[in-house]
Amino acid sequence: MLTLAIDTATEVLGLALLNQQQLVIEHNLHLPRQHSEKLLPLIESMFELTEFEVADLSGIGVTVGPGSFTGLRIGITTVKLLARIFKIPVKGVSSLELLAAAVEGEYLLPLFDARRKRVYTALYQRQLGKVAERQQAISASNNLIFNSRKAIIKPAGIEITKLPEILADYRQFKLTLLGEPKIAVKEVLTAAGFRVEFANLENDFPRAAVLARLAAQYLAMDQSDDIYQLKPAYLKQPQAEINWQQKYGKKTDLAGGN
Amino acid sequence: MQFTQKIKNETEDILILALESSCDETAASVNLNGTEVLSNVVSSQVKLHQKFGGVVPEIASRKHLELILPVIDQALVEAGVEFSDLDAVAATYGPGLVGGLLVGLTAAKTIALALKIPLIGVNHIAGHIYANFIANPDIEKPLICLTVSGGHTDLLYFASRRGYKILGSTQDDAAGEAFDKISRFMGLGYPGGPAIEKAAQSGDPSAVDFPRADLGDSFNFSFSGLKTAVMNYINNQQQKGNLVNKADLAASFQAAVIDSLSSNLMAAVKKYNAKSIVLSGGVAANQQLRKSISKQTTELGLKLYYPPLDLCTDNAAMIGAVAYYQYLEKDFAELSLSADPALKL
Ligand SMILES: [Zn+2]
Repeated sequence: MLTLAIDTATEVLGLALLNQQQLVIEHNLHLPRQHSEKLLPLIESMFELTEFEVADLSGIGVTVGPGSFTGLRIGITTVKLLARIFKIPVKGVSSLELLAAAVEGEYLLPLFDARRKRVYTALYQRQLGKVAERQQAISASNNLIFNSRKAIIKPAGIEITKLPEILADYRQFKLTLLGEPKIAVKEVLTAAGFRVEFANLENDFPRAAVLARLAAQYLAMDQSDDIYQLKPAYLKQPQAEINWQQKYGKKTDLAGGN
Repeated sequence: MQFTQKIKNETEDILILALESSCDETAASVNLNGTEVLSNVVSSQVKLHQKFGGVVPEIASRKHLELILPVIDQALVEAGVEFSDLDAVAATYGPGLVGGLLVGLTAAKTIALALKIPLIGVNHIAGHIYANFIANPDIEKPLICLTVSGGHTDLLYFASRRGYKILGSTQDDAAGEAFDKISRFMGLGYPGGPAIEKAAQSGDPSAVDFPRADLGDSFNFSFSGLKTAVMNYINNQQQKGNLVNKADLAASFQAAVIDSLSSNLMAAVKKYNAKSIVLSGGVAANQQLRKSISKQTTELGLKLYYPPLDLCTDNAAMIGAVAYYQYLEKDFAELSLSADPALKL
């Protein structure tokens, strides 16, 4: 099992190679607006530095956002072609899940700034009980150690002021915040009576090695994605479409149009 | 980059996969030795953008990502080849919309890395010119090419197919841009080329005598002076309370543009003893321009070519045709190549 991880969702360009349990190489480079120039040369140099060939890959993990659409499309296009040429499976992983995967805590609230006082977020819970046992067993048989987490609130774009309402059922638990804008979200939640803590800063960024482990885990459980359907989790319609709907949407509805 | 195979020369068969995604067509082709097109798959998004009155970059980018694999698959199947048969992979890297360009270019870079074959970055404008060589393989050299669109105006000299020399370019606006701006100013709509041409049909091209830019011995072009002259003329007439005859004005403006284009072209033809002339780019569809140039070329006994309609729209075969000559010159790109939305010739 040789798994490649590619993360181009944020300003950090993440690349990692995982051989069974062994992390072979990992890059987490803060390179705003340079993913197009740097991604392919870095993949090439990664294989030059290690004793592996691109053709040795048995699976790939890629982040599907939330994040920069341009960055995501660069990563996903690369993955589509590698998977198509070498006929290997791919797993698309939420950037929110990637943030949550490396952090201790029972209830994890990873955040991405969606601008205009909104965030992209999801609530993850550490898996316990039967499901976790089964996953641990599969992981062990594939020589993987894994902390499984489940999204109990699915990724979505939300106004920060609406968070207390959406998280109302989890008020009695302590929530661990990651990503940005942490401080603004903490203010809103504590004002509403939630108990909130920040994750350890060292673990509070997307790490390619974690993505590689996550992907290897999913692929070991045969949870791969169709590369023809693989696309960013846009969570938002194109602005032109929103404007058009606002301008003409209602009229066409009345006219019985689309 | 290290390549698995030796680089071939022109005595050997060279198979290139080409990708094009600079605007609203996702396209892939397989070319044998440049002009032999084994497959040419184009998936157009025109309908998606219609209701917005123009191409929406984010919508185009999303569609390119969705279509890139199916289009590549189909190009390979129709050509009856496998990835492993390819000698090189090419993609348009500009000019165009950056989001779309990045999809095709990133796909090509990945293929180059995976198969260890050369990557060739192609200029979209050159693609439109080489489309003529696909349609007319026996075109005689030396030739002069006038390529005119909303983004560029260039005069090129080809001694052979393998490369060109730029004789002159516009110093300010592209000819198509001048058409668009004047059309908008006159309230004739967008795109300006067809709108002006239509309005000019019933007009008198000698009604208003607009200036032709004189750039001395150079083969350069300039349209900003003409643009200002037309706008001043309209403003003056309105101040005097005169009605502007739109047909006459459109015809006079169009005549001035065509004059500048064709006089430079014919001067270059004479200086370089050209055997053929090629017109390329959106503005080359202007019937008056074609008529004016074809009259002068027939007198001189020269051949005039314009691209056939199916190769006028964006496609990948024309990119593969350029790529072949770049391959022979070993003009390969690094994996760090990125999109250049404002790429010039
Ligand atoms: Zn074009």
